[in-house]
Amino acid sequence: MKYIQRAIAITFILLSVVSQPGLAQHLLLPMDDAQRNHLKAYGVTFQALKMGQKAEWLLNYRGGSFMLPDVPDLRKKAALDGVSVEPVSDADVAAMRAEIAGANMDAVVLERVPRIAIYRPVDQPPWDDAVTLALTYAGIDFTSIWDNEVLDGELSKYDWVHLHHEDFTGQYNKLYLAYRDAPWFIAQRERDMSTARHYGKANVPALKKAVAENIRSFVEHGGFLFAMCGATESLDLSIAAWAVDIAGTFSDGTPPDPDADAKLDWTRTLAFTGAHLETSPYINALSDIDGHQVNVPSRRQSLGTFTLFDFSAKLDPVATMLVQDHRSVIGDFYGVTTSFNRAVVKPSVTVLAQEEGSPWTKYLHGDYGKGSWTFLGGHDPEDPEHAVGAMPTDLSLHPNSPGYRLILNNVLFPAARKKPRKT
Amino acid sequence: MVRRFEVALEMLQLLKRLLYWRAQSSFARTTAGIACLGACYLLSATPVLSQSGTGTGAGRAGGASGSARGSSTAAAVKDTTPVRSEEEAGLVLMQALEAEDRSQYAAAANAYKRVILYTLSTARPDGDRLSMSMLGLERVSAESGALDSIVPVVEQIVFRRPTDPIANMVYLRTLTTLMREDDTRVAYLRWRRAVPDDASPYREYAKLLMARGRALAADTVLQEAVRLMGRTASLSAELAQLHVSMERWSAAALAYRDAIVTQPWLETAALYGLQRAPASARDSVRDALNQGKATLAAARLLSSLELGWGEPRRAWTALAKLPPDDSTFAAWREFAEQTENGRAWTVSRDAWTALYEQNGDLNSQRHAAETALRSGDALGALNLARLPSKSDRQAVAKAMAPTEIAALGMLGRMNEAQKLYDQQIGSLNANAGVLLQRPLVMGWLAVGDLEKARQIISNGELANDDELIGWVALYDGDLKLARKHLLRAASSNTSGNSNLVDALGLLARIRIDQSPTLGKAFLAIARHDSASASRLFLQLVDSVGTAAPALIALSARLSSSLTAQQLRLKIVNQYATSPEAPEALLELARTARAAGDKAAAVSYLEKLLIDYQGSALAPQARRELEQLRGQIPPAQLGPAIHSECNS
Repeated sequence: MKYIQRAIAITFILLSVVSQPGLAQHLLLPMDDAQRNHLKAYGVTFQALKMGQKAEWLLNYRGGSFMLPDVPDLRKKAALDGVSVEPVSDADVAAMRAEIAGANMDAVVLERVPRIAIYRPVDQPPWDDAVTLALTYAGIDFTSIWDNEVLDGELSKYDWVHLHHEDFTGQYNKLYLAYRDAPWFIAQRERDMSTARHYGKANVPALKKAVAENIRSFVEHGGFLFAMCGATESLDLSIAAWAVDIAGTFSDGTPPDPDADAKLDWTRTLAFTGAHLETSPYINALSDIDGHQVNVPSRRQSLGTFTLFDFSAKLDPVATMLVQDHRSVIGDFYGVTTSFNRAVVKPSVTVLAQEEGSPWTKYLHGDYGKGSWTFLGGHDPEDPEHAVGAMPTDLSLHPNSPGYRLILNNVLFPAARKKPRKT
Repeated sequence: MVRRFEVALEMLQLLKRLLYWRAQSSFARTTAGIACLGACYLLSATPVLSQSGTGTGAGRAGGASGSARGSSTAAAVKDTTPVRSEEEAGLVLMQALEAEDRSQYAAAANAYKRVILYTLSTARPDGDRLSMSMLGLERVSAESGALDSIVPVVEQIVFRRPTDPIANMVYLRTLTTLMREDDTRVAYLRWRRAVPDDASPYREYAKLLMARGRALAADTVLQEAVRLMGRTASLSAELAQLHVSMERWSAAALAYRDAIVTQPWLETAALYGLQRAPASARDSVRDALNQGKATLAAARLLSSLELGWGEPRRAWTALAKLPPDDSTFAAWREFAEQTENGRAWTVSRDAWTALYEQNGDLNSQRHAAETALRSGDALGALNLARLPSKSDRQAVAKAMAPTEIAALGMLGRMNEAQKLYDQQIGSLNANAGVLLQRPLVMGWLAVGDLEKARQIISNGELANDDELIGWVALYDGDLKLARKHLLRAASSNTSGNSNLVDALGLLARIRIDQSPTLGKAFLAIARHDSASASRLFLQLVDSVGTAAPALIALSARLSSSLTAQQLRLKIVNQYATSPEAPEALLELARTARAAGDKAAAVSYLEKLLIDYQGSALAPQARRELEQLRGQIPPAQLGPAIHSECNS
């Protein structure tokens, strides 16, 4: 009798689960033009991982779609965020897998919630950093860290660290000449001087050099680094200049080493080699790494479009993940560092995007020690000529931004399970 | 003839020069205008020399230079022959201007230099020609990226003419552009010593510093000027701009207050600059602009600022205290019209009333009464309409009658309104009569006398007025007739009358053709009795089938917030599939947010987004949800100021 009762109960439970109205086995988040909100689709996927669910990133399948288990909470999140979902059955999934197997596509399992840190002043509102904007809009959790946390060794707590437009040479992108009297600039300088004193550093360039060294070490020991805008160029310059003074008099009280160019150590850098410093305090550029030089009127190059490369999804899944997009040609956007001259990019670096026919690249990726890094030039993909004092970007007006998708690709990339190499 | 042509060209160049200075004074603008007109006149009277082929030497030279343009360019660049006479200097200057117009910058620069060298070699240099050449040289050098090449030339001019303002300005500007900061400061100090009683060096140097974002350095320069020269009005504009850039609002307001007295064209700049003052600093701006004797410029500036800050009452207070004169009346009239267009009825009424009290004119009186009526002050409107006027009695009666009748209607004094109508209607033509009949009909409707209203409509010019006929039918409970006429009225009415839209929306949902209760409910709205209207709508809920939620929604809109909330919850719970349900959820969320209950607001919005994914309100709800969660910048957020990118 007991067994019969138990059997009836189990049957009832199974029936109730199977017959739950409207639930299929899987939810497909298409990432082609059928998607209403590409950016929030990343947030829904992140939420799935946070709930302990497994997700799959279907590389090159309908713009790099995501497949999630069909659970009510995810349906709810998708509905709230306006993300298009398509319920799919096991049979549909089998057909999809067959299509993926026969083409330049692959399915990557996402199984871990990446612990994300953004290097930014903790008290700063989130509206002036493209990554903070994107993560806030998509609803992806992150922690803000600044010089204190980096120097206190807290980077090891995170899988993924993002840097935006910080100048790691400590020269404030040479904005000193133009903005030295501006209240926000004065406050920023005083804050950095105070931190430098706290850590026994003589000046801001010395402080930032120490921060850059810790970030380099974070990547070397297995961290993922994503940098944009001026942080790309200045981080490598700071790392290369670990034993030489490259900062102008206005920032540390001493002139740069007259032989600084020759003394730079490019063996320790992530992306660049053989670049030349711009030591004039009157020229708003740190080096010749940037192809566009937006803040040097006589050298400024106009904006074009950049093209994402195609990679083999099965052989090169990392690069493929980083370029998943529903557009392969994207309008360029300025930043303190907009692009990277091909001549100074290390040969081992993977170029993910470049402007056709130009001497510069836009989007780079590489391995360093046990970790890896990605550099994307420019400040804000939806504000191509962003300026100091510009209005913040409202991403609800750009839910299908292909440029912002590149940022979010980097957020989910550390969640992927590494595949064993077929060697 | 040649002389006339030369003069015309010189005038054109004067215009060019003045434009190049980005003329900031009315004098400069006026001079530019005169120069332009003069040049146009002279040129219009001048044959086209190069085509005539019969001109004098200069004309032929001009023609020749035009025909042999390409081949002569290289020669012109290398030509270092000294200029030997005044006539030749004029000719070379013309060649320089022509070369510049053709973008042959090297040739133009060479010619300008030759003119400068000759002019400096004369005993009494022609200052105008020197300035023209110098400015031309600066322009072409900047275009060709060789600005540093003009430094020795301009240095020489400044050495010879240390008080020349144009030379000194060009010198400062060039050194600044070349980022030679120390040399710029030395040049500024030298100019200052040369003209100790002139504010120009301070002003120009401070402007250059501000343009480079060096507000503190500009502040030092201007403070020094004030210390050495006393408080000088000629620096007020620069001081004001500086204070604005440093967010010293009170000081900025004071400086602008001084500046706009002598430089009234700065009023727009002052408005633009001070408008950005945060709410916490606005009282100090008010105090600064109110200091001392009231001036028209300062009062007008403060009034415009207050309007921009959403304070129309304070805006009028700023203007109202001005002593009455023609300029003041003009300012009042402009303000009254502006606020009337902006629907700030009571403030507009006060401004029109003040004008009427000073002038006694009929137009001001009529506007005052109308705006009072629109503000809902029927008694005030009536009193204003009945004040004595300078105009003849008949004209006053004709102008005021529509307002008086409408005011009496709002006050429920329909017998008086009818009497006034009867008195006036005989002397009016058909069009003017309609102006009286409409408010009279609306008055009778408001007191619930449908018969009277119907009578006026049928006897008067309103027999074809679909809107009035439709309303009367609706109040009668004849929904079929009301539907027909109101629909026709809506298609020809572009004013977006919200009552008409509501009524049509409801009539479209209700299938029945007769409903006296519904008529009474709408009549109650017309009588501004929202409580009765709300109650009557609710009475009908059980008898109108699927239109029930529409009636509840309408009733909620007429109810107090607590009752409205209960009614909207009823829609959400009992009529979840009705089109009113998502609307009710959005309203519930907004009410909760306004009450500070963010959690409830989020929950209502989430329900809307999940249960009504296809609703037209979903995008709006999603946006409000994102704002509540801080996922997008707040609606009124200003520019981000911490950016380091200055692309």
